[in-house]
Amino acid sequence: MTALPLLLALPFVAALALAALPRLSRTAAALVAGAATLGGLALLGGMAGAVADGEVLRFKLDWLPSLGLAFSLRVDGLAWMFAAIVLGIGALVVLYARWYLADEDPPARFFAMLSLFMGAMLGVTLAGNLLLLVVFWELTSISSFLLIGFWHRRADARAGARMALTITGMGGLCLLAGVLLIGRIAGSFELDVVLAAGEAIRAHALYEPALALVLLGAFTKSAQFPFHSWLPHAMAAPTPVSAYLHSATMVKAGVFLIARLHPALAGSEAWFWMVVPVGLATLVVGAALALVQQDLKGLLAYSTISHLGLITLLFGLDTELAVVAGVFHILNHATFKASLFMAAGIIDHETGSRDFRRLNGLWKHMPVTGALAIVASLAMAGVPLLNGFLSKEMFLAETLATESHALMEFLVPAGALVAGIFAVAYSLRFVHDVFFNGEPVGLDRVPHEPPRFMRVPVEVLVVLCLVVGMFPQHTIGPLLALGVQGVLQGPAPEYKLAIWHGFNLPLALSAIGLVGGVALYFGLQRGINLHRIERASTGKRVFDALVRRLVDLARRVTRALENGSLQRYLLLLVLAAVVLGGAPLLEAGPGFGDPPGTPAGIAGWLALALLVAGVLAVLRWYRERLLAVIAVGVVGLAVSLLFVLLSAPDLALTQLLVEVASVLLILLALRFLPQQSPPERRRGRAWLHGVVAGAFGAGVATAVYAVLTRPTRSISDYFLRTTVPEGGGANAVNVIIVDYRGFDTLGEIAVFGIAGLLLHALLRGRAGVPGTLVPPQPARPAFLLQVSAQVLLPLAIAVSLYLFLRGHNAPGGGFIAGLVLALGVALQALAAGREALGAPDGRTWQAWIAWGLVVATLGGIGSFLFGHPFLTSSTPYVDLPLVGAVPFASATVFDTGVYLVVAGATLLMLAMLARVHAQAGDR
Amino acid sequence: MLTWNELLPLVPETFLLGATLLLLIVDLFVSQQRRGLTHFLAIVILVLTAILTARPHPEAQQAFGGMFIRDGFADLLKLGILVTAIAVFVYAKPYLKPRGLFQGEFYVLCLTGVLGMMLMVSAGNLIMIYLGLALLALSSYALVALNRDSPQSSESAMKYFVLGALASGMLLYGMSMLYGATGTLDLSRIHGAAEIARHDQRMLLLFGLVFVVVGLAFKFGAAPFHMWLPDVYQGSPTAVTLFIASAPKIAAFGMAWRLLEGGLASLASDWQGMLAVLALLSLAIGNLVAIAQTNLKRMLAYSTISHVGFLLLGLLAGTKEGYAAAMFYALTYAITTAAAFGMIVLLSRADFEAEEIDDFKGLNQRNGWYAGMMLMVMASLAGVPIWVGFIAKLAVLQAAVPEFLWLAIAGGVFAVIGSFYYLRVIKVMYFDPPASPDPLVVPADVPFRFVLSANSLLLLGLGIASGPLWAWCLAVVPS
Repeated sequence: MTALPLLLALPFVAALALAALPRLSRTAAALVAGAATLGGLALLGGMAGAVADGEVLRFKLDWLPSLGLAFSLRVDGLAWMFAAIVLGIGALVVLYARWYLADEDPPARFFAMLSLFMGAMLGVTLAGNLLLLVVFWELTSISSFLLIGFWHRRADARAGARMALTITGMGGLCLLAGVLLIGRIAGSFELDVVLAAGEAIRAHALYEPALALVLLGAFTKSAQFPFHSWLPHAMAAPTPVSAYLHSATMVKAGVFLIARLHPALAGSEAWFWMVVPVGLATLVVGAALALVQQDLKGLLAYSTISHLGLITLLFGLDTELAVVAGVFHILNHATFKASLFMAAGIIDHETGSRDFRRLNGLWKHMPVTGALAIVASLAMAGVPLLNGFLSKEMFLAETLATESHALMEFLVPAGALVAGIFAVAYSLRFVHDVFFNGEPVGLDRVPHEPPRFMRVPVEVLVVLCLVVGMFPQHTIGPLLALGVQGVLQGPAPEYKLAIWHGFNLPLALSAIGLVGGVALYFGLQRGINLHRIERASTGKRVFDALVRRLVDLARRVTRALENGSLQRYLLLLVLAAVVLGGAPLLEAGPGFGDPPGTPAGIAGWLALALLVAGVLAVLRWYRERLLAVIAVGVVGLAVSLLFVLLSAPDLALTQLLVEVASVLLILLALRFLPQQSPPERRRGRAWLHGVVAGAFGAGVATAVYAVLTRPTRSISDYFLRTTVPEGGGANAVNVIIVDYRGFDTLGEIAVFGIAGLLLHALLRGRAGVPGTLVPPQPARPAFLLQVSAQVLLPLAIAVSLYLFLRGHNAPGGGFIAGLVLALGVALQALAAGREALGAPDGRTWQAWIAWGLVVATLGGIGSFLFGHPFLTSSTPYVDLPLVGAVPFASATVFDTGVYLVVAGATLLMLAMLARVHAQAGDR
Repeated sequence: MLTWNELLPLVPETFLLGATLLLLIVDLFVSQQRRGLTHFLAIVILVLTAILTARPHPEAQQAFGGMFIRDGFADLLKLGILVTAIAVFVYAKPYLKPRGLFQGEFYVLCLTGVLGMMLMVSAGNLIMIYLGLALLALSSYALVALNRDSPQSSESAMKYFVLGALASGMLLYGMSMLYGATGTLDLSRIHGAAEIARHDQRMLLLFGLVFVVVGLAFKFGAAPFHMWLPDVYQGSPTAVTLFIASAPKIAAFGMAWRLLEGGLASLASDWQGMLAVLALLSLAIGNLVAIAQTNLKRMLAYSTISHVGFLLLGLLAGTKEGYAAAMFYALTYAITTAAAFGMIVLLSRADFEAEEIDDFKGLNQRNGWYAGMMLMVMASLAGVPIWVGFIAKLAVLQAAVPEFLWLAIAGGVFAVIGSFYYLRVIKVMYFDPPASPDPLVVPADVPFRFVLSANSLLLLGLGIASGPLWAWCLAVVPS
């Protein structure tokens, strides 16, 4: 079956060709588009026989099988009927547009978009896979967006296009969600499977959501209340577009979908209650609003809405005869509404206006067009002998046969009657106001008949209205039967297509409608003069307000969350983490264990008090930078005191020295900053930060408490047991550093050395960026310091060596010793000037770092000599005078490297800072 | 003991590392006039690494006792990362050159970043994950600050660094909890231990999981851990944004999969809830805030956040199809973003950044071809049918329905809101009059033009013929 993909491909090929040849003339472009359409019609005609025999034509190509997406096409009666509408009306619209387009409109672009739309619409009708249907569905939204916005220099066109796309696009996504659900339930997205799985779908727990989502898609597309307001605003489109999209095809896609999925979804309470009220409301609201429009196309748009409501209502009633009426009305409405739109386009084209208040008495100027429009309007009103009458009679009969809740049994026919009255009234207005009712007002040209061929499509359609209206059984009968079979997926019910059914209730209702409508129109015209009604569209206002709100909200969220402040970001990040982290805790509780058995003791409490006091001091004097740094130092000292109390002398020593060294470095850097930091702008901010910090601290404390009070098996026993036999040292901390975790330490000292070198690279050769540094105050020489430093330096060197050598067995080691040495030298430099810090470019200390790394690595490699892996230590002891037995573990060589790197890097940093000081002072 | 066979799975990474170090040294001896050599060599390195990665090898190898895993999953993600990185290099050159940023540092830092990403997606151990992450993150911080004289650039780098350090800290904290609860750093063993965890261990696992998810969310840029993203995207030189915005999303997905599915699958019901919150917030905030943006880079940043929301939808489904969908999403999103930022490079000049949406006004009149290419990119980002973005969204939504139906619907609704701002770009290009009527001066760089056009067209081509890539994604995700 290759005709099927070819049929679908034709419009797309035409669109591509037209897009590639943007300079084609109007006639040539129309010929290309027309050829594709006629070719499609021919292909479709070739399938007629098979389809009429009840055959279903299929074509399938795998696309993404595991996602259920297949390029599968399927033609049954319904698809065939819709494709015929799409292509048939399409051909007429192409002819019409050839004459409608103005010289300044780019014809190739127009026909390309039109062909694109035609292809998309054909795709919707022929799709045999629901996902493929959604794809084409969205494509119709997009191509209609382009078509509505064709005159893109006009603001109303752009706004209308955007509104249409937003509403139908949103509906399309709902449809996608619904289709995904249906696919899950049915096990496949193939239409054949889905249509056969109606029972299973209706019985499934997710049936209601799926139905609601699919219907949302259909309602938005078919402009059902309350999503109808995009359609009147889409009237800014060129009229051929309105005639094609907004009467015959795109807006019918919604009802097509309802018809298509009828076997799978219909036949339940939920279906009735979701579809019927919406259809009824649309029917009445659309008809009432159509009467008060001042724009020719506006009236037609609301009338279309009303008629779509009628069709929806019919499908909602869910009887086989209602389906017949629905399908019939789809065909009839497409015929008369397209011709009316085209007539409106002719009037607009020849008069330059679409305003009821200016267009009057055109009968004298364009009698032929007038006659055509009048016949079509009568069809719209449902006057006998015209096609509209037939389907309307069937509709009225069905509404009267509604079997449901008593309220609905009354509301449905009542609504139908009211809508019928309005329909007659607005049809009458269309005829009376435009062609009679006085003279034209303020037109800039004298109206006349359009070019011959522009009228041909209207004539064809109007003749169809008449012929179908008079001889339904022989003209539309077979097509209707095809469509109904397609909807029901089975034989059509018994029905009679005749003009005369005898005197019955529907006929009486029709008569009341006719008389009532005429009375209503002339009554209103006399009473309140329809011309004076100025009505802004509520839907548009709501839509605009929603869009504005959305943009406002976007701006507000941006200002609140994304103001570029790092503090704000950090705050949000931490808060989000706390909320997320707190969630499981709330669920299960923190899981505290028993409190520890060891009392803290007075010294412990003192250290704690010192710590708290330090923190409070930082908070109190945080703007005085010097004081704040010193207070931070106090906190560090309190921590090292706690380490002492917890019998961790190594940690305490390290903490102490690191604290001193870092305070020293910070103080040196502080000399370049003002004494005080700038004040907080708002006090409330400080409180906020206080609360956040407090909450975070409390959270961490809770977590720590929870961890500490849980029963654990400490790993310290293992190390205490094995450090002497395996590492040759009693100081477990040092043995871990240089032996057990020697590789880590090697990496760490490398990082430390790199940090020193980085600082060197940053500060080398620059005395800071000019203007940003405060030059340091000249300091008075500190006499006491100078004297004591003389003594302290040798002492520091000695202590440092001592700590280093004994480090393997008692508190000490390379790291601590290196820091002691660095501090001694730093003190000397403070007292005696920076000459004590070696060469001004820091070369000395760079060498220390380099040698340190070399020694440490060699210490590790040394073990290769003894046939051991990297960093395996051996532990001979050497007796030294005064010091005693010194372990000459290979680890000691390694520790020397640590010593050199730590001292070198610290002193390099100090030296570079001092250098910047000197240079800043010189200026 | 290390053996040669142990190192075999690491051949691409080892080659990349060695070649990068070599490039670092070679670059020292290249004069500024001949910097093109560095550019060329960097691309050659990536191509060779890709070839080494693509070479067939026996299924699922391990190195370093399970620290490093080489399987089909990792290979596909690595190829995605490498291909994206090649495009990044090609796009970056015309941007870097007139700004005096055309230096070896950019290439070396990007290459180390790529190495980090490759380790992330191949990690079988928490330490390896962190190692890769840190390598990527540190390279990125430095890259953001590449233009040292720009205060904006430095500010972004600072923010990125501070926030990134905090997030890494949380990730590590979470990992330490996982270690505490299971006594191992190996992901497959964590998987085993988590399955039989007692109640109090589970508690600890959950606590660790939270912080791991925070770290992941930060790396992805999922709301509410997204704050760094817009500032960094906007503040970095476009060439760097190009790098940060594209390939790392693939790596983040790989990391998330290794951690969540590989390590913590038995906690799925817990992390699904967390990811659902993150996904919803990302979809909402990303799409909403993007509307208010006038700066294209910032807009793309929020768009990234929303796309991450979609990606998470696939991930949180926790099924084979879901993972494959998220993988497909990450891969295609990376190349889409690369093209988007390539477009910004296309329009920018030495003294003009072209990062405002208004700079695209009337592009169609100035150069119809590239306006069409930008249309491709925006259409794919918006998820218009038959572009690859649609297929990716479809796959993800399919995975999320019906268990996460409402989340999927929310995703759909926000996708519509999102299409708003992509449409605006298209509107500006086609409907607005250009600021200057002169035709666009396209960079003379032939590879740039070629790759940019090919990349944009690929978005359409991959949409139409998405079968092979999708099948590949499905095949490499173990069931």
